[in-house]
Amino acid sequence: MNLRIGAISVVELLVAACAACALYAAAADDLLAPEQAFRFSARLVEPGLVEVRYRIAEGYYMYRDKFRFTAIPQAAGLGEARFPPGKITHDEFFGRVETYRGDLLIKLPVKSAGGFTLKAVSQGCADVGVCYIPVTQTVRLIATGSSDDAAKFGGTPPDLIERLRDAPPSR
Amino acid sequence: MKSAGRIALFAVVAVSGLVAGYWLYPWNRGVTPNTGNVAELMAATLPDMDGKSQALAQWRGKVIVVNFWATWCPPCLEEIPEFVRMQKKLGPRGLQFVGIAIDNRDKVREFAAKFGINYPILIGEMEGIELVRRAGNDRGGLPFTVIVDRKGRLLGTELGGLNEQKLTAIVAPAL
Repeated sequence: MNLRIGAISVVELLVAACAACALYAAAADDLLAPEQAFRFSARLVEPGLVEVRYRIAEGYYMYRDKFRFTAIPQAAGLGEARFPPGKITHDEFFGRVETYRGDLLIKLPVKSAGGFTLKAVSQGCADVGVCYIPVTQTVRLIATGSSDDAAKFGGTPPDLIERLRDAPPSR
Repeated sequence: MKSAGRIALFAVVAVSGLVAGYWLYPWNRGVTPNTGNVAELMAATLPDMDGKSQALAQWRGKVIVVNFWATWCPPCLEEIPEFVRMQKKLGPRGLQFVGIAIDNRDKVREFAAKFGINYPILIGEMEGIELVRRAGNDRGGLPFTVIVDRKGRLLGTELGGLNEQKLTAIVAPAL
């Protein structure tokens, strides 16, 4: 009898210990890499119009005021980005903040008919309380078809510093 | 009675499991600490808010909490008041916070004043980003905190917010 109880107890002990440990294991870092959390693509949908798309993973969001788009060469003539309305929140530190979740489509007028590189800087966070260092992604846009496949994830540093220097005050 | 005893034992073990899990937690994450990286971090020199070079090695001998943050990162800002409180409370026992801001100096200065930050803040910019990545945080997430004991050995790393209770549990045995 004692042995049986002993055996059950051992099993129970293991279950209890594992269950408790698993609680923390589950909370372990499953954070996506930024290029997976914020899937970037861009294409020329018609002459003079670029559509930039971010597929934002569930549990992640992006800040509207952190997007920066530039064309290389500059002569491609990028116009002002048109954003859909995002979610407005009032942050205790930053005041009015606009964020996006899910599928985000940004329209960028451009003078060039194609044959330029679009450089996109963006910044977002995960709901678990982690924010990513701004990322720069570049895509070569040609006159016909999508260039989604050409989108590549670029290193951040020089652009980040540039952005930090150019960025307007937080408020 | 036997059943009550078993429940009690179950509870004790569950709690032990939680404690074990808690201790293993920093090592359980995607961010895998590596003492080589810590040595590299602790050998770094960065400018402070006045532009003066500051070597992290100057705080060796203390329990050091290196916190990577930025003014544009809301979860980073949330934990700072707790760090200020802990610096005040545990500083005399040898705890030293050092903030490394992935940000520009003017903004950092403004926030440091607003939060009454009572520990050194170094300006990371590009070098800071490299340090974050080399310290094992390849995703580039903030806040990111590296905790080192008096001998420069890694006590833990944390990606995401820390609170006073969690951080105290990590640093207390080393103080």
